[in-house]
Amino acid sequence: MSQEQAMGGEGGAGGEENMAAWLMGIKNLQIQPYHLPPLGPHDVKVRVKTLGICGSDVHHFKTMRCASFIVKKPMVIGHECAGIIEEVGSKVKTLAVGERVALEPGISCRRCHLCKEGRYNLCPEMKFFGSPPTNGALANKVVHPAYLCYKLPDNVSLEEGAMCEPLSVGVHACRRANISTDTNVLIIGSGPIGLVTLLAARAFGAPRVIVVDVDEHRLSFAKRLGADEVVEVSTDMQLVGQELTQIKDTAGCNIHVTFDCVGYNKTISTALNATHPGGRVCLIGLASTEMTVPLMAGAAREIDVMGIFRYRNTWPLCIDLLRTGKIDVKPLITHRFGFTQGEVEQAFETSASGGKAIKVMFNL
Amino acid sequence: MGKGGMSHDNNGDDDGGENLAAWLVAQNTLKIQPFQLPPLGPHDVRVRMKAVGICGSDVHYLKTLRCAHFVVKEPMVIGHECAGVIEEVGSDVKSLVPGDRVALEPGISCWRCEYCKEGRYNLCPDMKFFATPPVHGSLANQVVHPADLCFKLPDNVSLEEGAMCEPLSVGVHACRRANIGPETNVLVMGAGPIGLVTLLAARAFGAPKVIIADVDDHRLSVAKSLGADGVIKVSRSIQDADEEVLLIQKAMGALIDVTFDCAGFDKTMSTALTATRAGGKVCLVGMGHNEMTVPLTPAAAREVDVIGIFRYKNTWPLCLEFIRSGKIDVKPLITHRFGFSQKEVEDAFETSARGGDAIKVMFNL
Repeated sequence: MSQEQAMGGEGGAGGEENMAAWLMGIKNLQIQPYHLPPLGPHDVKVRVKTLGICGSDVHHFKTMRCASFIVKKPMVIGHECAGIIEEVGSKVKTLAVGERVALEPGISCRRCHLCKEGRYNLCPEMKFFGSPPTNGALANKVVHPAYLCYKLPDNVSLEEGAMCEPLSVGVHACRRANISTDTNVLIIGSGPIGLVTLLAARAFGAPRVIVVDVDEHRLSFAKRLGADEVVEVSTDMQLVGQELTQIKDTAGCNIHVTFDCVGYNKTISTALNATHPGGRVCLIGLASTEMTVPLMAGAAREIDVMGIFRYRNTWPLCIDLLRTGKIDVKPLITHRFGFTQGEVEQAFETSASGGKAIKVMFNL
Repeated sequence: MGKGGMSHDNNGDDDGGENLAAWLVAQNTLKIQPFQLPPLGPHDVRVRMKAVGICGSDVHYLKTLRCAHFVVKEPMVIGHECAGVIEEVGSDVKSLVPGDRVALEPGISCWRCEYCKEGRYNLCPDMKFFATPPVHGSLANQVVHPADLCFKLPDNVSLEEGAMCEPLSVGVHACRRANIGPETNVLVMGAGPIGLVTLLAARAFGAPKVIIADVDDHRLSVAKSLGADGVIKVSRSIQDADEEVLLIQKAMGALIDVTFDCAGFDKTMSTALTATRAGGKVCLVGMGHNEMTVPLTPAAAREVDVIGIFRYKNTWPLCLEFIRSGKIDVKPLITHRFGFSQKEVEDAFETSARGGDAIKVMFNL
């Protein structure tokens, strides 16, 4: 199915035309027809109802790339979504038309050694919504494997369903870092990812969670969401020593795990120095490529640095945490838009501006 | 619990009783002088030193009077890799008797803090470690040490091999933390003493393939003779990193599951992070530079974890078993031997400091 075919306009007799938000070029999103592939026996067709904007979507929007992923031809944007089943493939037994589902964006190959070991998030053949060249989900409908669509309990809304995606990053990080009732946690960065990590750490039982950021507003948000303490820091590398003291004094306890949800020299240096010997630093934020870090400070204290890439096997847990109320993601949704050309542009502008905009959500 | 001090009874003759030690008295200055031992506690033993190896950290202290944040502020006995014969046992010691040949684990932890209680005693903030200031080392005729840190040598394990348990322990601890086993293909960066013991340990832990990289041809040939499946010569220049990663991966012929950086520089760490497969581990063993510029994010985005290594814990029994069974042969690492006299002590340290073909320099007392 070529892009030309997809955009060529399938409209007319019989059903409505499927429309999607296509990234055509830098800062250029156009709502245009999106021709869906045929439904395979294990697929479902989902009417997308909610979709959140991620920092990576904004990055693609602004620069047509994100790390090593380059947008070479028009691509449908968006990946944090939930919707309603419209049609099921011939072999699908677990889902039925009308059911509300949250979607896990990435289709891994299921044949390579990483997939077979269960670390499918690292699959080199991963086809991920909105990661070029795979089309995303900001569309009226998408086709997706049934095994990646998770039924939402009655008390979990479609917006909460879409929030499972960013929440999954926090959950996966907490699992890898072994968060428990024995681990005091420091979170660097109080943006959407820092905040879902805060929520996840609390749900995993962390006794004390400290959040650090440069933005006072985002810190007050963190406090509302349950951070025990917040510390305002700067971007000034010279102040790293001073701020470290402040963080440790405010924490008043040993920090066993630090999540760097930003990913710069300064944040990783702070993380390595603030963490207690024998502890762990989880690098979630993927801002820089090369960083100058006091790695030895960590290594000589047996602090392990773990990388986090997306997530694996997290939807069932996320849905359960939402169902039982152990986690409430609703406060993170700060802005809502409908699915029209003007609103799509506005939504991306809002998300890109950061600040008070935490999660921008489309309601289709 | 002191570790002894400088005796003022300075007559220097070996009157059958005076204990002498090699003291670091100033930068680049070692002097054999009396070393007064503390009294023997009920759980202590007195050991006559027979074999002491020189470590890179000992050389560093000699040259600079410091190592990381440890600073030598007053004269200190040097040396920590050692083995000897029990001369006297404290009143509560039941596991050892005079005449037993033992290898010594250098560090006395507090046994009360959270680290000690969890078994991670290598991280004890109150650790008293031979020749880490202000604690005196063991390049001496005799030392006093807790009996529980003295491990009896099997009959077929020599005193020199006993002393080698210390550096070997670093490799063993690293292999444990990195979970080396029959499914982990290993890359070792650096073929110095630590890289080599790590190679030996990885083999003993069952790694199917172990390859090693270094800048020095001679050290690579030693690695080959010790059983490395492949050796790769690399340069010190960061520009060559990408090309060398390809060469290394090709030499392995399979995905690299774990890389041990036994050097600890920008280049070696960058190479390690790039060459290791997604989901793999990089163990930072070597202590080259404190701050390093490395491509951490691309590694993190592939879930390549960085594991820190500091000394070792609970490794002597396993090291002795490896040596006893022949699974590990450390003898080839001992390249130079010296006796315990003023001149020989000076020559020995000079030899160790120059590196090159000097791998492990050993004192026989």
